[in-house]
Amino acid sequence: MYKHIDKLEIAGFILPVTLFTVWYVATMEDAVPAYLLPSPWDLIRTAIDFAIASEGLTPYSGELLVHSIASIGRVVTGFGLAAAIGLPLGFLSGRIALAKSSLDPTVHLIRIVPGIGWLPLAMVWFGVGESTTLFLISLASFFPIYVNAAQGASSVSPMLVRAGRMLGASELRIFTTVIIPAAMPSTVAGLRLGLGLSWAYLVLGELTGVTHGLGAVMMDARMLGNVEMILVSMIFIGLFGRISDLLLLGSFRRLNLLKGSYEE
Amino acid sequence: MRKAKLSVSDINKSFYMPGENISLQVLEKIDFEIQEGEFVSILGPSGCGKSTFLNILAGFENVDCGNAVCCGESITGPSPERAVVFQSPVLFPWLDVKENIMYGLKQVGKRKKDAEQLASEYLKAVGLEGFGNYYPSQLSGGMQQRVSLIRSLVLGPKVLLMDEPFAALDAQTRYSMQQLLLQLWENNRQTIVFITHDVEEALLLSDRICIMSRRPGRIIEEISVPFERPRTISLAGSEDFSILKSRILGKLLT
Ligand SMILES: Nc1ncnc2c1ncn2[C@@H]1O[C@H](COP(=O)(O)OP(=O)(O)O)[C@@H](O)[C@H]1O
Ligand SMILES: [Mg+2]
Repeated sequence: MYKHIDKLEIAGFILPVTLFTVWYVATMEDAVPAYLLPSPWDLIRTAIDFAIASEGLTPYSGELLVHSIASIGRVVTGFGLAAAIGLPLGFLSGRIALAKSSLDPTVHLIRIVPGIGWLPLAMVWFGVGESTTLFLISLASFFPIYVNAAQGASSVSPMLVRAGRMLGASELRIFTTVIIPAAMPSTVAGLRLGLGLSWAYLVLGELTGVTHGLGAVMMDARMLGNVEMILVSMIFIGLFGRISDLLLLGSFRRLNLLKGSYEE
Repeated sequence: MRKAKLSVSDINKSFYMPGENISLQVLEKIDFEIQEGEFVSILGPSGCGKSTFLNILAGFENVDCGNAVCCGESITGPSPERAVVFQSPVLFPWLDVKENIMYGLKQVGKRKKDAEQLASEYLKAVGLEGFGNYYPSQLSGGMQQRVSLIRSLVLGPKVLLMDEPFAALDAQTRYSMQQLLLQLWENNRQTIVFITHDVEEALLLSDRICIMSRRPGRIIEEISVPFERPRTISLAGSEDFSILKSRILGKLLT
């Protein structure tokens, strides 16, 4: 059994290692010009320089912190706004028929248009940059948060609710001490999807033009023809996306809210 | 004469079946009373409406007509005065054992320190000392059901309602749970309505057995169980036990 898993895990490494080797060889022999694809080594140097201004390689050397803070701040604000609206509305529409029938049709109507489709309108409404970015992040991440919270809340085992009632919990306490914790596995899945989308729409929003932010660096570097910086920014966005996901998951694990719904 | 702890009179209950557009009558003219400190079993074949009856006592279901009264007050909804032990443990998986037991105490406004104290005492009484910090998923079915039993008992309910609480357990565990329940009952003489489809279980545990007919469920006979207390599992081997058992079985099969 364990051997089997090991084999599978090794299998997972084959493709990335191969790709990396091809990349390394291709750039080493100058088969691909560096202005299209820099070598792994150049990339690492650029990344380090971006972080701590070690060599002054690019106009962005030492600016990682500033741009990261700007980007992370936008994700936190936009995602936070989506969660602050999406979670309560989702829980309500999962439990209360009237809330569901008044919210669901509208939400699903708005959802038909993919998030990207809102970009031009957002630019007209909010101008380029900051507000547009926050709007896009919040809009895109709202849907999975709302839908999954509602789904979680509506599928709480009725037996758990009965147990809470006979133990003396009021309707409000049932909501806070039974429905919400029992809905957590599904809700957290929605939050994670929303967070992933937040990073995606962050880049989209920042590309429209902000002064600081990893997306801005990417757009800027494109104009300067600096592929290293584009790739380095992509890598940091990926890294932050992954870290934020782990933090989100970790904090819910800590609160013991992912124990899985009660099996009857 | 002592006053009944809980009484129902002339209850009818049916469920509307939307698919077939008919209503299914489940309970018919049920009259029932239980006195303080009495242990009464409701015995009947599967599907005869036992759970429905218990759910009415618990306040989970409404009646079509008739009255259900507990301690002089009409039953209108669930209450910790009528705590329930379900067939499956139905513990909150995100709370540990101790928090599960303290859940009800918290709802009724007990101070945290007192609640913790009570939880420890009860855990000890059912042999789960040291399991307070475990999560339900880490316990066996029997242990979970013990937790489920004491989270209701700590509330000091006026009546404890048990719906085939041991039916899902293996034989070995079931015996030890029956033994435990007998022992707890000797100590506190809790008023208990106990649903079961197991004749031996009913005979072993109760003071009185109400036998229900097939659906629509009616109470077709009441039998006083004469065996001396304290009782142990070994009672099941006695001749009187066998005679009573075959009499009840005969009644159930008609
Ligand atoms: N909520 C419900 N809706 C429709 N039918 C129900 C409902 N609850 C129980 N029944 C039906 O009522 C009958 C009695 O059920 P139940 O009280 O669970 O029986 P028992 O506990 O004796 O096995 C069954 O035929 C069952 O299908
Ligand atoms: Mg039943």
